Amino acid sequence: MTGIRVFTGFGHVLEEVALALIPLIILFIFFQVFFLKLPRHKLKNVFVGLVFTFIGLALFLQGVHVGFLPVGEQMGIALGNLPSKWILVVVGFILGFVATFAEPAVRILNYEVEKVSSGYIPQQVMLYTLSIGVAVSIALSMVRIIYGIPLWYFIIPGYLIALILIRFSSQTFVAIAFDSGGVATGPMTVTFVLAMAIGVASAIEGRDPLLDGFGMITLVALAPILSVLILGLLYGGKEKENERELERDA
Amino acid sequence: MQNIKETVQEVVYAVLPITAVVIILQFTLIWLPMEVFLQFLVGVVMVSMGLIFFLVGAHLGLLPVGEMIGAALPKMGKAWLVVFFGILLGFVVTIAEPDVRVLATQVDLVSGGDISKSLLIYTVALGVAIFVGLAMLRIILSIPLTYLIVGGYGLIFLVAAFTPAHYVPISFDAGGVTTGPMTVPFILALGVGVATVLGGKSASTDGFGLVALASIGPVLAVLILGVIFG
Repeated sequence: MTGIRVFTGFGHVLEEVALALIPLIILFIFFQVFFLKLPRHKLKNVFVGLVFTFIGLALFLQGVHVGFLPVGEQMGIALGNLPSKWILVVVGFILGFVATFAEPAVRILNYEVEKVSSGYIPQQVMLYTLSIGVAVSIALSMVRIIYGIPLWYFIIPGYLIALILIRFSSQTFVAIAFDSGGVATGPMTVTFVLAMAIGVASAIEGRDPLLDGFGMITLVALAPILSVLILGLLYGGKEKENERELERDA
Repeated sequence: MQNIKETVQEVVYAVLPITAVVIILQFTLIWLPMEVFLQFLVGVVMVSMGLIFFLVGAHLGLLPVGEMIGAALPKMGKAWLVVFFGILLGFVVTIAEPDVRVLATQVDLVSGGDISKSLLIYTVALGVAIFVGLAMLRIILSIPLTYLIVGGYGLIFLVAAFTPAHYVPISFDAGGVTTGPMTVPFILALGVGVATVLGGKSASTDGFGLVALASIGPVLAVLILGVIFG
């Protein structure tokens, strides 16, 4: 392997992207002909948008193929071969924290939660809770890989807590909480951090990358669900208290 | 143009923090060969450019279309048509979802081709499709979201008992990646469209929960795949 690879295998990627978008385009044409009947200028926008989507998807996948996947895995292997394994846990924590803290989707969620809770859950509180939540998730994933702990030991208690919390939360909060699972699994987590975890799992003796490397996204997705539900409950109590006070005053 | 500036900012915020941490790691702990490290930077540039093009394109073309289709569906008058096209859309959108492709590629690589990329993508898409259909039914019949979530996860844990161990982490991760940059806006637009046109009900709470259901479907689908092939 010599030299930097940029467009190696780009032909396959273009083919893949075409196959990925064609069903969507066919469905659109069907709707356009029978139901939407968009005027020409709007159709032009859709077409330009599709071209952009095609270029974007191709560049993204190519970057993942030549950059993130191979290098992420090699970095994971290098980290997994370090003599002190606790560093992995620290690195996982930091990666999770910085990724979530800056993620735009997280800010949108925080705003939404502040609105729905009519200001009882401030955006800052939500931001730190989520960032620490995801940080702990990735750190735990590393612990899981180091000791080879089955994913069950984390998911069952996680979802059990979530299901119990549902009983005490309002419908709106439940909907927001479960929808928010995706905000933390941004494009970097799914590509680079997962590749790294797989690398770590293949470097540590006795670990199966298939069994121990995957599962990280699951834990990352669980963090926002639990954060929103717990905060909703904590601050919901405060809200009721406040309502009682208001009633007394009146 | 404002839109493009925001998108660029969004992508930079999503990509930069982890890139910074990786750069620090490279020069403190990892010390990979310079060539490999440069390869990473090439990846960062291409992924960022790709995401910017993708998101701008999606905002311009696909998302407005998603919303219009969402609004057009209920006007067809027949509930089963709404559900049918919801299923079709869920399938087609998931096939185009970048995160799903990346996960499937990694699974294909790590399993040495045992769980092939296209098999996984189509399984995940089928799972999303069926659950988008269920979500549409839920909005039409006003079934509380909690019933479907509790029932869905209950079913997941039941099926998981019969699935080979190495399918379990993959299946749960598949649930996580369907909430990517393509599926979420498209499905949300669809849900809000349907909820608004059906009228009378609160559009916001009905539109919500679609994504949650869309991520239960793929977990179940991949677990069932494991029962069959494992």
